[in-house]
Amino acid sequence: MTAGGWVFMALSWGIILGLVAFCVRRAMKEPYKDL
Amino acid sequence: MREKWTSKLGIIMAVAGSAIGLGNFLRFPSQAAQNGGGAFMIPYFVSLFVLGIPLMWIEWAIGRYGGLFGHGTAPLIFNRLWRHRAAKYFGAIGVFGPLAIFIYYVYIESWLLGYCLYSVTGALGSLATKEEMLGFLRRYQGIGRGNLFVWSYLFFLLTFFLNFAVVYRGVRGGIEKLCNVALPLLCIFAVVIAARVLTLGTPDPAHPDWNIRNGLGFLWNPDFSALRSAKVWLAAAGQIFFTLSVGIGVIITYASYLSKGDDIVLSGLTASSLNEFAEVILGGTIVIPLAFAFFGGAGAQEVARSGSFNIGFVTMPLIFSKMAWGAAFAVLWFLLLFLAGITSSVSLLEPTVAFLSDELSISRKKAVAAIACVSFALCQFPIFLISRGVMDDIDFWAGSFFLVLFGTVECVIFVWIFGIEKAWDEMHHGAELRIPRFYKPVIRYVTPTFLILILGFWFFQQAIPTFRMDGVPRENVPYIWATRVGLLIIFIGIAALVRKAYRKKFGRER
Repeated sequence: MTAGGWVFMALSWGIILGLVAFCVRRAMKEPYKDL
Repeated sequence: MREKWTSKLGIIMAVAGSAIGLGNFLRFPSQAAQNGGGAFMIPYFVSLFVLGIPLMWIEWAIGRYGGLFGHGTAPLIFNRLWRHRAAKYFGAIGVFGPLAIFIYYVYIESWLLGYCLYSVTGALGSLATKEEMLGFLRRYQGIGRGNLFVWSYLFFLLTFFLNFAVVYRGVRGGIEKLCNVALPLLCIFAVVIAARVLTLGTPDPAHPDWNIRNGLGFLWNPDFSALRSAKVWLAAAGQIFFTLSVGIGVIITYASYLSKGDDIVLSGLTASSLNEFAEVILGGTIVIPLAFAFFGGAGAQEVARSGSFNIGFVTMPLIFSKMAWGAAFAVLWFLLLFLAGITSSVSLLEPTVAFLSDELSISRKKAVAAIACVSFALCQFPIFLISRGVMDDIDFWAGSFFLVLFGTVECVIFVWIFGIEKAWDEMHHGAELRIPRFYKPVIRYVTPTFLILILGFWFFQQAIPTFRMDGVPRENVPYIWATRVGLLIIFIGIAALVRKAYRKKFGRER
């Protein structure tokens, strides 16, 4: 795998894991309430 | 009294379960490998942020808005958003589409259960070549010699029954419970398989270049020249569209079981993020790197081009048959795909159930029974006429073209006709997260334009040749026409029920 490949893989994983972490953190900050 | 989700986590898992399907593990890696590798991720993420996530928010908002009036499906919700007599018929696509997809999707889903059993018995592990694996699949489908079709049909009956058993138990007792268990399980299975893939190294010492590292390179090394091709951008937009389950009508129905003060912005974003995790991180780590490590660059290229069916039912079992503990990994693979499939297929049934119970006041149990009878009869066509191309034709019209059409229509109705200001306010009721302001012009102009471009491209590049049946064997032509007439009759039937529901609620038609 080239350096470009590693960069694209790391960036893609980073964006997605960042999104998941952001959503989970926000959900924890304002806890899920029962409907 | 309409049902409500037990918790917000419940609807997030249900929407993510609907979105995470076979395409996450089979379609995405082949699309990425064929369209520029790592560079594919540029149009992919652009499409995610300007098309997928906004459309997700739009569907959640439309669904919750409709739920306040007691509507769980697009026909009468569209009528609330756009006071025009045509609106409800456009909305009918949101009931027709999921039902039409279900009638062939449930059969494919049943193959996964069957292949799971064949992995346990060792029947798949004994097949050593691609030709043998393909022959096995064809015999399983009832094409060619052999009596595997009996088993195939039994697994179809079992899968069909399981789907209706879940939907029969309702949104809280059936769909929510299933997704709360199935989603974590499928993630665990995928992580186990991905971990094995990443630690596989070089499986064949005779080919030292055929290793997982180079396999990841095959998928991720960027080819920037691909970005100059409109086809690559449209492939990325199409992948985002299909992977998020937008344009079907399912999310509208799921969101209709929310209350007005419930957040949709953070929930929609969370469901999208979970889907992306399953697709890019888990889906991207399994198929293509494995294919490269076992078949080399040329083989992986062929696998990527061979399509989702071949990857799932020919390439992957063949690879597992060559791996140590391959049977165990094959069982995990088919179980994970089955769980991804069933969480999607139950979601496909819910709009029709909601339509009958909300708009025609039929009890849920009677509605489920009626849909079970009708869909069971309809399922027989793709099952028995699979060799005639019936399944492919239904997949194109219901599973591809009408999806994009419905997505475009709902976006235009909500953003341009209902109005961006009201739409923006609607999205933010009870929001635990503010959508950044730059999304307002994006949702108003970029998302609909993007959708209209995709629809136009599809119409000229694919719908016209498909409609003309270019490349269809002459002997299959009558079957394809019969399929289209059948789909038209189903749509007219649903449109007639929509008209009846409208008259029941509002009196004479305007």
